[in-house]
Amino acid sequence: MKKRDDKKNQDKTAGKKVGSEKQSLQREIDSLQSQLRCALADYRNIEARIEKEVSLFKKDTVRSLIDKLLAVLDNLERAESHIDNKGLKMAVGQFKDVLASEGIMPIKSDGEVFDPIKMDCMQITQGPKDIVVETVTKGYEYCGEVIRPAKVRVGQGNE
Amino acid sequence: MGKIIGIDLGTTNSCVAILESGKPKVIPTTEGRNLIPSVVEPVKGLVGDLAKRQMVLNPKNTVYSIKRLMGRRFDDAEVKKTIKMVPYKVVKGKDGMACVEVDGKIYTPQEISAKILQKAKADAEAFLGEKVTEAVITVPAYFDDSQRQATKQAGEIAGLEVKRIINEPTAASLAYGLDKKKNEKIAVYDLGGGTFDISVLEIGEGVFEVKATNGDTFLGGDDFDQKIVECLLE
Repeated sequence: MKKRDDKKNQDKTAGKKVGSEKQSLQREIDSLQSQLRCALADYRNIEARIEKEVSLFKKDTVRSLIDKLLAVLDNLERAESHIDNKGLKMAVGQFKDVLASEGIMPIKSDGEVFDPIKMDCMQITQGPKDIVVETVTKGYEYCGEVIRPAKVRVGQGNE
Repeated sequence: MGKIIGIDLGTTNSCVAILESGKPKVIPTTEGRNLIPSVVEPVKGLVGDLAKRQMVLNPKNTVYSIKRLMGRRFDDAEVKKTIKMVPYKVVKGKDGMACVEVDGKIYTPQEISAKILQKAKADAEAFLGEKVTEAVITVPAYFDDSQRQATKQAGEIAGLEVKRIINEPTAASLAYGLDKKKNEKIAVYDLGGGTFDISVLEIGEGVFEVKATNGDTFLGGDDFDQKIVECLLE
């Protein structure tokens, strides 16, 4: 009788131990699954972020280079306005053609209504109100975005 | 949980950044620049570079250097000095505080600053691709309670929960990792667009204490530009 009771108690203890181990393993599985889900979500976010940053990096690099090249073009155009030289004219023309082929276009400003998105007012002067009277430095757009606003003089309304 | 943005709300220019993998990253504006001019045209709803580009054409409606009026009374010496140098109208508002009047409407400095903070928030959201609701904003070490409270209000008007208002020289010291120093005194020189500030801080066990501040609140990069213009005109 005693032996039977002992065996029953042993079986109960073993059963409890197995049950407890099972619960512990289940908790561990739940925890690992949760970590896996988080890791996968982080991975997807990082993937999207890397794609976006590569695109932004390309855009910033191109924009920075264009800005520097436009400063060179400004000086060539100033030289062209003072020197009547066929070779210089051809070189400046070629420079502008290359920019245009890459989608870099000058902003039309002379005679236009002043627009702070595309223009930067340097001075107000004689002329029709809010109309660009003179472009001091040309502005440029790249793929529809303003790379450099045009620096302009704007009329103050005294005819 | 979204990212917390850090905003330097400056007198002449403002800047917004986040921490990524423990490193600060300045967020570019939609105009492609790292700085937001602290300039607002409240009638046309222009902020930053767009407001700055038309300020020559529209001086009475374009508000700049609003930080000089933040949390100050209309009778303050700094406000009186500012009134002499700005083309827009500065008026006495509620409780004798300095406000601006544009096109017949009165705006508090908090409302004007909120427009700059809204742009910082919008640019950060466009860059991060997620909503931004929390921010830390820096102020000069010499700002009093009224000025700090006004800055916090500006953040709240802009839709930001301002987690902390911290001192600019402290933020600069943290950026250089100087919080690792023990029991040292540090001098921080801050030459901005409109002001020149010096702060002496004492660092001990990660705690920063402002020991002294001084400087010239009407000296900055803009004044250097003006001198160059005058020299060239001569």
